[in-house]
Amino acid sequence: MSDQNQKEKPGAPVKAPGIAGSIASLLGSLKFSLGVVVIIALACIAGTLIPQGEQVSRYLMKNPGSHKGLELMSSLGLTHVFSSWWFAALLCVLAASLLVCTGRRFQAIRRSSGAMRVRVAGSFVTHVSLLLVLVGGVVRVLWGEKGVLELSEGQEATACVGVAGMMPIPFTVRLVDFELEHYKTPGQALEAEGDALLVQWPEKGLAVKLPVELMKTQVIAPSAEPPGPDNTFRVTIERYIPDFFMDSATGGARSRSDQPNNPALYVSVVAAGSTNAQWVFARFPDFSRHGGQGGAGMPLQFKFVSGSANPAAMGRPEGPVKAFRSTVELIENGQVVLKKTIAVNSPMSHRGYTFYQLSYNPNDLTWTALQVVRDPGVPIVYAGFLLMMVGLTVVFCVGPYMDDKRKKTGVAA
Amino acid sequence: MINLFNAGLAAYVGALVCAVVYLMSSRRFFDRAANTMMAAGALVQTVYIGMRWVEAGRAPFSNMFESLVLFAWSVAVIYLVLRIQRNIPWLGAAASVFCALALAHASTFEADIKPLMPALQSNWLSFHVLTCFLGYGGFAVAFLIGIGVLVADRGASTVKPETRETLETVMTRTISFGFLFLTLGILTGAVWANSAWGTYWSWDPKETWSLITWFIYAIFLHCRFMRGWRGQASAWISIIGFASVLFTYFGVNFLLSGLHSYAQ
Ligand code: HEM
Repeated sequence: MSDQNQKEKPGAPVKAPGIAGSIASLLGSLKFSLGVVVIIALACIAGTLIPQGEQVSRYLMKNPGSHKGLELMSSLGLTHVFSSWWFAALLCVLAASLLVCTGRRFQAIRRSSGAMRVRVAGSFVTHVSLLLVLVGGVVRVLWGEKGVLELSEGQEATACVGVAGMMPIPFTVRLVDFELEHYKTPGQALEAEGDALLVQWPEKGLAVKLPVELMKTQVIAPSAEPPGPDNTFRVTIERYIPDFFMDSATGGARSRSDQPNNPALYVSVVAAGSTNAQWVFARFPDFSRHGGQGGAGMPLQFKFVSGSANPAAMGRPEGPVKAFRSTVELIENGQVVLKKTIAVNSPMSHRGYTFYQLSYNPNDLTWTALQVVRDPGVPIVYAGFLLMMVGLTVVFCVGPYMDDKRKKTGVAA
Repeated sequence: MINLFNAGLAAYVGALVCAVVYLMSSRRFFDRAANTMMAAGALVQTVYIGMRWVEAGRAPFSNMFESLVLFAWSVAVIYLVLRIQRNIPWLGAAASVFCALALAHASTFEADIKPLMPALQSNWLSFHVLTCFLGYGGFAVAFLIGIGVLVADRGASTVKPETRETLETVMTRTISFGFLFLTLGILTGAVWANSAWGTYWSWDPKETWSLITWFIYAIFLHCRFMRGWRGQASAWISIIGFASVLFTYFGVNFLLSGLHSYAQ
């Protein structure tokens, strides 16, 4: 492919004498740097197709015959490509090559003019951005730190477990609260099956299923006899609580969560001048009969048939995990300097340390694991990202326009 | 909603039929019909994606089904924009085959809207997937052009030089477009990974393959712009590049996870 229609690149090569000069011109040549890119790409392919690191032993257990081949690859460094010295060396050569070519691009900006200048400047910015990303990566490797911090609610720490022993943190971290949130999915799905209030009057053979509609009064009477004040009831469902509990502080009924863990209805009944009201629980059908206030003379029995609380759903009242969060306080000199809730995709940073929500313990919801990262390279890398988009936008928005113009004016490339 | 999905698929199949009839009969009516169908397909898909977005309460770019829908959409839109500028008669047929196949393949996956695990609940992720697939769409069209260049070279005498020039231009533009968006896709993916796990790059197979893809197209662009490569040589890079796109997209999930499945 290399014999295709090669053209000399625009701009004169840098004239630097001696060995340094020839090394520089080698590094800066397009052929060389693209050659390095190809080798890095091949190394990357090897690094994804050949089992890496800890995968190797498992791979060997599965494929006992592959021992010799893997040993060879291991000695060539092919079983830990991305942490090998030669891969790092390749990246350094790439960086050196980019550096030389970027320097040359800089001179080319000054030499060129008009739209060409814009384009060359764009490629210059792009190459600089690549260098920034590589530099940021080096900064991370040299000065970055990473550790895991495990805390229970109320606990404090001034260090976490790093890759090489304890990693100190220059302030105190205290876990205030951990919470786990589930999707409502199964509850919602089952609600579609229908919640209903079953009203029965056993003596009169009455049984009606009322849909759960709040504040809607329905009149109920046995169909076999003429309605009168003694056998006509006005039933109203006044409240629905998905996760009922009696708040002992206020004495009122409250919901612990949005999950239908303990669905309850508050039903009022008006009959012959007297009013009764009672809680009816889907999970505890017997409770309502005895638990209602003032229900003594009431012949009606209520059952809350809740789709969301049916036996299939009772084992796993919640859907998949939606979110988990840790609220932490950072303390310096005995004072809380920052209080924040950390969630996946929403880390907290303070003085160069960033805390990520890592995992939780389903059996101990007062415990959390946070990842602690100190990476002074991130601003450099992000600056590189930003510059890369700026450079590419300049190159590709002006580029085609340039080509058209060049063709029209007949200037040779 | 599944009706809208099927309507999109039907529109692309209709566009394909019209495009093929046009290629055989050279009657303008079928060219117009093919383009109208293609536009209808893109429009229906836009509505479908929008409705799914509203229903899910999040950007619908999170699994194989949703990304295939997006892939077909982005190829259709990119083709239509190109069609306004240039007319490459067979490209409409090729693009509609691509869109129809992508949607047909999508229909083999679970279409239900599923709740997202915490790590996937991120605007960076939506942006990442959208930009990656716009890039892939550009590369897909460039791949079709690359095939066209190779086929044209077989019977070189029958291809008019200006058509050939059009192919070169369109391939370079679609790859430039794809490269811009793939870069944006990789970078937003890195930012997302950093906000979710504190590492913007961890050399996992998917990341690594996206980088390999990026390298291949960077090589294409340098050879094209600095060395003036054209014709078969650049067509081959375009084809290899798209093979790498497909491997990044499907292969890493199916082949490499197969290789790694002992890890579970
Ligand atoms: C993958 C890493 C890259 C390497 C190793 C690399 C290397 C090089 C080299 C050696 C040159 C020739 C410089 C000269 O002769 O003065 C060059 C030119 C160029 N590079 Fe890159 N480059 C890389 C990435 C990129 C990217 C991502 C872009 C974005 C489009 C880009 C755009 C350009 C352009 C536009 C030129 C020519 C400038 C002009 O037209 O005057 N490079 N590159």
